[in-house]
Amino acid sequence: MKKIVLLAALLAGCGGKAVFGLSSSNDNDPQALAKALDLRQMSAAPKPIGGSARAYVVTSGKPRHLIAFDLAGEKAAWNVAADVQSRVAVGGDFVVAREGTDLVARSASDGAVRWKMPIDGQFVGAAADDKRAYVVTQTGTDQKPTWYLIALDGGSGKQLWRTPSTGQLGAPAAQGGLVMAPFLTQWLSILDGATGAQLTRVRSTDDEITFAMTTSDAAWFGSKRSVVRLDEKAATGARGTSTTGMAKIPAQLEKATYAPDGFDAVQAGYSASDRVRILWRADAKGDAWKWQGGGVAVHYFRYVLGLDESGAVRWAYSHPKVELVASAHTGAAIAAVSAGGEVIALDPATGAVRAHAQLDTGGAPVIGATFDADGWSPSGAGEPPSTVQALVAIARDRDARFEGVKELAVGTLAKLPGEQVTRDLLAMLADERTSAKLKETVIGVLASRDDPAGLPALIEALGVKSDVIAGTEPIAVGAVARAVGALAKQPLDEKQKAAAVDALIGQLRAPSTSVGDAVDVVHALAALGGAAAKAPLRTYLLVYRTDAEFAKADALVAATVDATLAAGADDRELVRFVADDARTQPAVADYAKKALAR
Amino acid sequence: MRIVRVVLGAALAAGFVAPAMAQAKAKPPAPPAAAKDAAAKSKVKPGPVGPLAAALVGGDVDAAAKAAASLGDDPSPAAHEALLDALSTGLAPKAAAPALESLAKHPAPADVAVLLVYAGHRDDDVRAAAVAALGAYPDPLAKKAGVAALGDDTEKVRAAAASAVAKGKWREGVDRLMALLDKGDAAAPPALAALADADLAHSIAEHLGNAPAATLAVTLGMILKRADFPEPAKLEVVRAIAKIPGAEATGALTDYLEATPEKPPRKSRAEAEKIVEARLAGGGAQ
Repeated sequence: MKKIVLLAALLAGCGGKAVFGLSSSNDNDPQALAKALDLRQMSAAPKPIGGSARAYVVTSGKPRHLIAFDLAGEKAAWNVAADVQSRVAVGGDFVVAREGTDLVARSASDGAVRWKMPIDGQFVGAAADDKRAYVVTQTGTDQKPTWYLIALDGGSGKQLWRTPSTGQLGAPAAQGGLVMAPFLTQWLSILDGATGAQLTRVRSTDDEITFAMTTSDAAWFGSKRSVVRLDEKAATGARGTSTTGMAKIPAQLEKATYAPDGFDAVQAGYSASDRVRILWRADAKGDAWKWQGGGVAVHYFRYVLGLDESGAVRWAYSHPKVELVASAHTGAAIAAVSAGGEVIALDPATGAVRAHAQLDTGGAPVIGATFDADGWSPSGAGEPPSTVQALVAIARDRDARFEGVKELAVGTLAKLPGEQVTRDLLAMLADERTSAKLKETVIGVLASRDDPAGLPALIEALGVKSDVIAGTEPIAVGAVARAVGALAKQPLDEKQKAAAVDALIGQLRAPSTSVGDAVDVVHALAALGGAAAKAPLRTYLLVYRTDAEFAKADALVAATVDATLAAGADDRELVRFVADDARTQPAVADYAKKALAR
Repeated sequence: MRIVRVVLGAALAAGFVAPAMAQAKAKPPAPPAAAKDAAAKSKVKPGPVGPLAAALVGGDVDAAAKAAASLGDDPSPAAHEALLDALSTGLAPKAAAPALESLAKHPAPADVAVLLVYAGHRDDDVRAAAVAALGAYPDPLAKKAGVAALGDDTEKVRAAAASAVAKGKWREGVDRLMALLDKGDAAAPPALAALADADLAHSIAEHLGNAPAATLAVTLGMILKRADFPEPAKLEVVRAIAKIPGAEATGALTDYLEATPEKPPRKSRAEAEKIVEARLAGGGAQ
């Protein structure tokens, strides 16, 4: 914010009648804003600006290629060599992007170059509406930069107007004859696309404006924190009184953004930031903000996670092998393209794959894509994905970048019932490639699952013995024992319960069980109760009470004595014997005496 | 101790130590047959065990350890019962290990339950003693535990398990011993050598390439040293050793030559001699 104030102070001395100035009589004017918005020529129903749903895909290689992929027909409309260096902006019958040092417009019908405009200075961003292209550039020096917002005729490339700004402009957005330009991250200037006249401005008083964007039914602006619908209420300048959406995003996905940052030069082109995106749609009308479909989705590299309004994961999709490099919410579908050229469409409510096509990229990796597919709804229904499998895939991904989202996946898995989930969690513990931090998370959630359906998997895990010949080793005995013990409160199948006790006894008797794990085993046996569980505890106490190493393990001594005492009157006699017998280690005897006195 | 046994009777009856103790307490156990035999043959006269039994369950661990060892020399049922009783109610590791060795000197079926508990003891010495002791018991559970202990994390315990398998002549342990052989585990050679017949020796020899050469040579060398191993099969063993490269193989054959008199002449010895001479002259594996 300090930066803005400083810039504002500098600009205040500039004077003049520049469109982009610090003071304006029509800042946050609801009537002016309503009037400006009414000027937009909008389609009655959501539809692509170019008429048919397309993905404009840029592939790497020398030369790069721009491919127009017809989503409904699942085939490329055209594929041309084009040195695309920016995002592709889609107009009515043309597309525009920076190619090399030029702004190049191509015909949407065949990809042929329609016109070129040399870019003077640095490209900041481009947008297009039905008839015109708009581009923001930066010229001058670092000490005295000037930004220009330039309008060009989509058909001829003729420059219609050019407006300078001594304050920083972000990438523009355009819609139905209006062009919107974020200014100094504090204003959103709204200009008449035909003349360049400023119609009004929104001045944000409590947050930055780092992007402006459009869907076919509304225009939006926002920041990393929130997204605001450009309606009359936006003229209040405050997020609280505007129609504002702030999706609840799990902390592990906090890098995800609503839209590319219009002030970030890197994000003027396709970049890694496109792989961490909040995919959302909100109602274009109505007093209150409402996420369509009851939530949002987050594209996170190979994964897409559907979130409900509380931020909880409601479905997960894991794309095989390669990352999804671009994605968009069309309203009826989540469209995405992978680095390998696969184009998919997911159901926003369930994550079901409703469409899947392979783009022929000639083997070249996809760099990025722009979707012009508003309202596109694939014909296929698709089967909802196995969220469990997807979450497991996420959790077991070996890419170190994903530690945070892996934790989220594990946490989400923990809330899902079923034996397989427990098995998958155990498999993560057994996998030596699972990071120590993630293992801690898995251990934490294992006991909290409280799902009797997982008991067979837990019993199986406890049944593994350390054996150098077989190469087996039990995993996380303590955590598994805790998970079993936690189930004691629930009604359990008697056979399974007996099997659980047997498995716990096996680990209690195993020399490989660490002292720490043994504490959990003792607690679990005590919790499960029953004669079968009590007897080995008595034996354990009798045999180990004489062992100096056991006596050093305070927690294990306490657990064993307490569990034995809790078993009944006969066991009290046993503890009394332990307390009094000369063979008993002093520390054990002391604890036994204190326990008896309680 | 009697008081303790009465007090603990009900509690112990439900534990997995219980079978032994319950049996011991229901009626004084009859002297095990093996103990009777041992008593008859022993030069040590059975004496009153009271002081030793008292020391065994006293607070002085060193005295308990000595008592445990001494009681093993006493073949009387009372000595055996004192050991079993003390182990059933818990002995410090230092005393438990000799007590287990002593117990197995005069094995009785009731011992197995106690041995199984100590075969899982956290102390390596105690566990090794218990596992080794299992070999004296022709009991399916003892066999199962002994064979399982071949996979113990601790070398000492694996060696004890191998000795138990050999002592008990548990063929069920052969596969796991072979696996240990392939790993070059020192526990494998003595047990495999003890268990080997001609077929097993042949199987062992076939592990050339899988098992470390040195371990394989040592194993086959140990078989050669067995006086009861048939001569024709020894010849095959010698030839198998001849295929093994390295000093250990030469050493195994040299040991065999040294341990075997020249007369009466044996084909296996003559073959071994030729091989050793060839190797010392610079020849390698054949």
